[in-house]
Amino acid sequence: MHHTSTGERILRGVLISLALIFFLFPIFWILLMSFQTNAQILRIPPSIVFTPTLDNYVSLITGELKTASGVLKLAFMQNLLNSLILSVASVALSLVLAVPAAYAFARYKFRFSEDIAFTLLSFKFAPPLLVLLPLTIYFQQIGLANTYVGLIWVYQLITLPLILWIVRGYFEDISPDIEHAYRIAGHSWLRSFLKISVPLAMPGIAAAALLSFIFAWNNFVFALVLASADKQPVTVGALAFVTASGIQYGQIAAAVVISIAPTLALALFAQRYLVEGLSLGAVKG
Amino acid sequence: MYEKERDLIAALARRQIGRRDFLRRSAKLGLSTALMSGLMGQSLTHALAADSGIDWKKHQGTSLKLLLNKHPYADAMIADLDAFKQLTGMDVTYDVFPEDVYFDKVTAALSSGSSEYDALMTGAYQTWTYGPAGWIVDLKEYINDSSKTAGDWDWDDVLPNLRASTSWSGVPGEALGGDNAKQWCLPWAFELNSISYNKRAFDEMKIDPPTNLDDLMDKAAQITKSDKNMYGIGVRGSRSWATIHPGFLSGYVNFGAQDFTVEDGVLKAAMNSDAAKAFTGQWVKMIQESGPKNWSTYTWYQVGNDLGAGASGMIFDADILGYFQNNGDTKEKGNIGFHAFAANPDAKQPTPNVWIWSLAMSNFSGNKDATWYFLQWATSKQHDLFGAVKMDMVNPVRQSVWDDEDFKKRMEQNTGYLEQFTASAPGSKIYFTPQPLFFDVTTAWAAMLQQMVAKEVPVDEGLDQLVASINDQMQQAGLQ
Repeated sequence: MHHTSTGERILRGVLISLALIFFLFPIFWILLMSFQTNAQILRIPPSIVFTPTLDNYVSLITGELKTASGVLKLAFMQNLLNSLILSVASVALSLVLAVPAAYAFARYKFRFSEDIAFTLLSFKFAPPLLVLLPLTIYFQQIGLANTYVGLIWVYQLITLPLILWIVRGYFEDISPDIEHAYRIAGHSWLRSFLKISVPLAMPGIAAAALLSFIFAWNNFVFALVLASADKQPVTVGALAFVTASGIQYGQIAAAVVISIAPTLALALFAQRYLVEGLSLGAVKG
Repeated sequence: MYEKERDLIAALARRQIGRRDFLRRSAKLGLSTALMSGLMGQSLTHALAADSGIDWKKHQGTSLKLLLNKHPYADAMIADLDAFKQLTGMDVTYDVFPEDVYFDKVTAALSSGSSEYDALMTGAYQTWTYGPAGWIVDLKEYINDSSKTAGDWDWDDVLPNLRASTSWSGVPGEALGGDNAKQWCLPWAFELNSISYNKRAFDEMKIDPPTNLDDLMDKAAQITKSDKNMYGIGVRGSRSWATIHPGFLSGYVNFGAQDFTVEDGVLKAAMNSDAAKAFTGQWVKMIQESGPKNWSTYTWYQVGNDLGAGASGMIFDADILGYFQNNGDTKEKGNIGFHAFAANPDAKQPTPNVWIWSLAMSNFSGNKDATWYFLQWATSKQHDLFGAVKMDMVNPVRQSVWDDEDFKKRMEQNTGYLEQFTASAPGSKIYFTPQPLFFDVTTAWAAMLQQMVAKEVPVDEGLDQLVASINDQMQQAGLQ
């Protein structure tokens, strides 16, 4: 049995601490900023000693920012809700479409299967602005401009290829013999897919769903071009605190804290799937 | 509403009482400040309806949609919007987008021919693209049509240089505001460039605001070397058109330098003239000696933040940038002074280049006449006064507002602001030569400034390279 020396343990502890500080300090600093006024944030030199205020969170949640010239309306909570609607619905739709498709690409060889799969992947390579202007015109003509449905459809460009390609790798890793055995017992293809293949690939599906959720959450340009202000996600909404009369650093920090919360919660919940899923899908047997 | 309040509004609308008297009597009636502001807006609108000579209800029931930038000017308009709805019976909705992405949204909306928006906020420079492309409407026909334009709207009350700066024929190199110029937008509020400085630091060091570029360089160096823990002069430096248009261009043209010359109708880049080289050399030296450490990343925000936080002694930038720092939630609140600035000691007056937030009408609007009613109201004396006195709609574009006693009283709380405006206004206009590659040219200009400040290229050589590269671009675009 290998024993680590005290020196090794201390060194490991120091290195882990340094890594944690390096990665977590910006988040910690943003958290501190979210409880400060602009004047406190901008003082020179900066200090971690301050009288905390909840004003930034109150402004965001109530949607009212008190300034020297009056009360200004903020739409941040609406932006947050939009992000949730767009990301959750896009990922859900992609899962419904991409998981069976991934299974088909993994299990069956049919004409043009690789070409189709690659075409779907190529959507990830295309610069969004290349397709957005023509899409704007089409969306206006068919009445999809400025609708959640239209945006969720366009978000498939982000989420669908990602889920399809990640999950396909998982299905390929699962031995078809298990499914065959189940089928021999008299079960249908669909039942075999739902009861055997999907549960076995669940870590991969969870990992793919989480990753695509993060990508969808961070998207900026689709809603900006295709929708009105009332459909904008947090990525656009957070910029509203940067105005000609100054940058509201405290509110930006509070907005960051609030907007990373759903992703963080989801990541923590799916953490075990994520690590297992990412490592399993990476190597083909 | 109660009778007393209604009578009070009517009295103000009939001009039987002044605004100050109105506010005093409102307070006696126990009305809150917010309600008083609203009543004042309504009363001003009543006055507009009474004197206009047009039927403001003509488009009653029409719905308009605006595309706005998140800005104090838009906030002022939104705060007063009920007055317009009451006046016209129209409904107005709006989309507000952050400034960082605003012009991307405008470009996407206009280039796709979207009829979603009827009117939009724009800068004058942007109209050099939008206008010739046919995306926005030439407003001259509306301005000159007495059946659609209120008699008391008084276009001539808008500062003449601003009217000229927002109109252009579309011919590259042709002067703004010429006879064939089209009025692409209406000036809404604007900023000119002058010195905003830290009064406390200047008082403690016993120095006055600088009067010319040499003096500015000396005083900036003095501040940097002092024990004030601040650098001398804040100016913008990012690789963007926005680095060129404020202090830099204002000083540059004060020495007689130009961006382009027009020879036989052909545009030639002129950033390497003797005057341009001499000024640029001094500017670069000033930044190297007394500018911020990360100058090449500096935008509007950093320049303003440093002044507000007491990290810089002064800025040569938009006067309203200093105003916002002096009136916002900043460490140096109330401690910022303002001073007009002519970089050239031999110049007759300051020559600040201006940025004008304006309102334009989308050519794809299905409600153009109704939109014109909105544009008139939003640029009217009444709304301009409301925005300037009650909100942060500074600088107002109308002379009548600058002459208004309430506005003056408000601005007097900003040391030297009115004086710098009075000295700067006559020479304030857009000094760029209008041409469609404006953003490419100014971005290349800023990039070259960065190289010169970083000592990667000597000033004279850098400007020769810049001119060659811009002439090449102009040629490729068929402009030479």
